[in-house]
Amino acid sequence: MHIAEGFLPPAHAVAWGVASAPFVVHGVRSLTREVREHPESTLLLGASGAFTFVLSALKLPSVTGSCSHPTGTGLGAILFRPPIMAVLGTITLLFQALLLAHGGLTTLGANVFSMAIVGPWAGYAVYRLLRRYDVPLMVAVFCGAFVADLSTYCVTSVQLALAFPDPSSGFLGALGKFGSIFAVTQIPLAVSEGLLTVLVMRLLVQSSKGELTRLGVLVAGGKRVQAESSEAVAR
Amino acid sequence: MLPIDAAAHSSRWRRRHPVDKAVLGLGLTVLAISLPPWPGAALVLLTSLAVLLGPAGVPGRKLWRAYRVPLGFCVTGAATLLVQVGGPQGFVSLADDGALRAGELLLRTSAASLGVLLFAFTTPMSDLLPRLVKAGVPTAVVDVALVTYRMSFLLLDSMRRVRDAQAARLGHTTRAATWRSLSGLGAMAFVRAFDRATRLQAGLAGRGYDGTLRVLVPEARVSVRFTAASCGLLIALAALTLVLEGPLS
Repeated sequence: MHIAEGFLPPAHAVAWGVASAPFVVHGVRSLTREVREHPESTLLLGASGAFTFVLSALKLPSVTGSCSHPTGTGLGAILFRPPIMAVLGTITLLFQALLLAHGGLTTLGANVFSMAIVGPWAGYAVYRLLRRYDVPLMVAVFCGAFVADLSTYCVTSVQLALAFPDPSSGFLGALGKFGSIFAVTQIPLAVSEGLLTVLVMRLLVQSSKGELTRLGVLVAGGKRVQAESSEAVAR
Repeated sequence: MLPIDAAAHSSRWRRRHPVDKAVLGLGLTVLAISLPPWPGAALVLLTSLAVLLGPAGVPGRKLWRAYRVPLGFCVTGAATLLVQVGGPQGFVSLADDGALRAGELLLRTSAASLGVLLFAFTTPMSDLLPRLVKAGVPTAVVDVALVTYRMSFLLLDSMRRVRDAQAARLGHTTRAATWRSLSGLGAMAFVRAFDRATRLQAGLAGRGYDGTLRVLVPEARVSVRFTAASCGLLIALAALTLVLEGPLS
């Protein structure tokens, strides 16, 4: 869930924009360097952006009977790395605000901070940590996607609690209020997104080994990943 | 094509420069969040609606379909302000001024959303993105955004067709089948995106691709009259809010 247009007071909107700026600038530099060295990467990165945008259009069945959509930040970070995801996430959020009326321009900074920065970095950190200790690829992918989704919503709760402190219990009360509302829907959804990401990754290992190797996913963990991917293909 | 972008392509203001529409639409959004919600945001809301349905010529039904999405978020978001946690009245109770705060937030968000919709309903992305280079956005980022934009529609179309095919093969009848179909859809999107990128790359390489995507942008000039009128309207709204704030609050 993105923070809607106009939801944050002007000072908060500006502050979150300023907080996001260094990460987005870092991502833009990485992207510009990549495109300068490999001009053909423009198309690949554009395809990655389109994939991220389209992934957020997937309707995920929810335990409450309703539907939601994956954030796609975990899978995006594992495939494309967090700095690139900061830029691709910003582009995706801009498109969602202007083409789908989902999110907003004044809340773009806040949404970028939660969905394109904290989510990807947290998910990627967990994924890399687990891979370093030779945890199986799919377990690491599940945990990465789960943490990326959940951390996105935790940050959104903090952003909302800072903007709208509870009249009686202040920031902590508001954090509990927003957090508990999100927890009811988001913990099951984070599990769902983790499972979906694992299923997508399993299919990708079977069908797009070349692309995953080019993106560094299948060589990142060393020999064991290669063996796992061979097993998956053999299956 | 997505409904808002399709409407923007056939908009009455399609040929206007994006700067003209940004001054008006985004100006209204900035006013909505910076003026006092009552009567400021209410005035902005009414003005935005009048401009959207009047001079901009946005069809009411299309506007409602796009507007109900952010409106739903606004209502659910504002509802949380009705209650408070802790205090002498119990663990969870109705906040004293909750209805007032929720009403103000609802006014602000709904007015701000209409301002952005005014811009989105009149400015196609294909007009806006190439011009971002002049605004200082690095060319590489704009090129990636352009490819993302154009490829998104192809992917969304592919996904729609695959989803229909999955449904026709009873791929959504059970929960397990739904999950299988969903994962296939996600993987398909990735495979198709990369396949298209590879083929595009091969095609462009054959035409002497040097890393810069050159696209034709429709000629348009910034209208001084339109921009000045927009600024006048924004100033008038701000002044009217300040005048009415005392008597109406």
